[in-house]
Amino acid sequence: MASRPNTDWIPGLAKGMWLTLKTLFTKPVTVNYPLEKEIPVPRARGVIALDTDACTSCMLCVRECPDWCIYIEGHKEDIPPETEGGRVKTRAKLDRFDIDYALCMYCGICVEVCPFDALFWSPEYEYSELNIADMLHDKDRLTTWLETVPDPPALEK
Amino acid sequence: MTTINPITDVATAMHLSEASVSVELETPDMTLNIGPQHPSTHGVLRLVAQVDGERILSVEPVIGYMHRGYEKLAEVRTYAQITALVNRIDWVSGFANEIPFIVAAERLMGVEVPERAQYIRLILTELARISSHLIFTSSYPLEIGAATPLMHALRERERVLELLEGVTGGRFHPNFNRIGGVKPAAGSGSQTRKDVQDLPAGFLAETREAMQRVLDVCDDLDTLVTGNEIFRARTVGVGVIPLDKGIDYGVSGPNLRASGTNFDLRKHTDYLPYDRFEFEIPAGTNGDCFDRYLMRLEEIREACKIIIQAVDSIPSGPLQAKVPKIIKVPAGEVYVRAENPKGEMGYHLISEGGRMPYRLKIRTASFSNLSVLPWLLEDTLVPDIIAILGSLDFVLGDVDR
Repeated sequence: MASRPNTDWIPGLAKGMWLTLKTLFTKPVTVNYPLEKEIPVPRARGVIALDTDACTSCMLCVRECPDWCIYIEGHKEDIPPETEGGRVKTRAKLDRFDIDYALCMYCGICVEVCPFDALFWSPEYEYSELNIADMLHDKDRLTTWLETVPDPPALEK
Repeated sequence: MTTINPITDVATAMHLSEASVSVELETPDMTLNIGPQHPSTHGVLRLVAQVDGERILSVEPVIGYMHRGYEKLAEVRTYAQITALVNRIDWVSGFANEIPFIVAAERLMGVEVPERAQYIRLILTELARISSHLIFTSSYPLEIGAATPLMHALRERERVLELLEGVTGGRFHPNFNRIGGVKPAAGSGSQTRKDVQDLPAGFLAETREAMQRVLDVCDDLDTLVTGNEIFRARTVGVGVIPLDKGIDYGVSGPNLRASGTNFDLRKHTDYLPYDRFEFEIPAGTNGDCFDRYLMRLEEIREACKIIIQAVDSIPSGPLQAKVPKIIKVPAGEVYVRAENPKGEMGYHLISEGGRMPYRLKIRTASFSNLSVLPWLLEDTLVPDIIAILGSLDFVLGDVDR
């Protein structure tokens, strides 16, 4: 602190105005939002995308969610044997996968616990709604977010 | 008493008006409610003040408008879920809130955290400290009447928050620490598209550059605020907390150091490897509002010093210690305290061996800092309320939790 020159003799108003004048000629850091957009970082937690093919409706995300904003319904489906006398396979079929973004607190625990890589974070943020009921994103809407999921960023070292 | 006749001549009228001036005026005490919503408070606080004219007789802060019951919620949440909750206690420095809680759980489990994870925690904690202090050093002049510093400081704070977001994915609520390290690769299956949560490329270089800009904006704040005559007139000698009073009331952090001590938990405890870096603890002399402002400005500079050293010496290695998939913390009791931007934050964690804590007591800095307010505001003037209230730098989420 001692290394800086003592400028106490200059009136505060003059110093302040000088800084304002200097800043006047610098490039603004703000963006004109609806016309220009900032690109969020790849890891930004914007919206959760769902890969319905990977989901086995195991309910892990539902149980770990701190505010219970995920709703899953599913049923078991029999796949007939391909060859005569073969075994009947069962497969989990997802009927409903809803995330209520009005409740979600964007902690990312569901993405983290998913053992089958069915959930991903997307940095997309423009999904505000006039009606709060529309914040409940269903299976189809969650799947459309999948194409906005970016590649992970390169890592340091 | 004689009846007063209608005033007929000027001489009588003047005589009467002089007489009324010389009479001692009896003014009743007035109850003044400040809040629950007031522009100068960062949250919802209500002050019930008894005022005698401009002089304050007593003040009673009414808190609890933002009570969210985190201590009780923590008893029915797993450790990973609590990490997401504690972010929201002091939202101005969300990352710093996670550290003492995670360290408390790690101590009970006996987990050794890898070096690199500790350094990442340290860097991000100091970034959170800078963002918190930049908010204070710029919004405090705003409360006193200077709007310009806020624009300058928020410009650089945005850069700091972008750094935090680039690593953790969240600007305010990082939710990045896990027991045993920092957030591992999300999901345990194939990591085809999921992110391995090491630092993103270019983070270290960007941090160095951002620290330089933060130091520059500190100089700008010095120019705009520290030397400003009006700011000094409003803050120097106002709201003095003597050291012994501060200690009695449990004031901590920069508020206490402004009174002339250099007690800092970063030097006295080992929750993060601060002992490997060279930095100073600024200490004030007067304990007034101006010193409290100055402490935070100096702490930004010291935090920049720590971050630059840490960025230069960050070791490579794993980010996560070996911990079981389902975290169960062994039975026991531990108290971990840490130096948060607002002051001392502590978590008293009692576990009975389950997936959830038995009890989690949270000691937040703002709550204790606010408790000095009734004593501090006694016998001050009404305009000084704002100057004193703002200088304590509390966040209502931190008070009520």
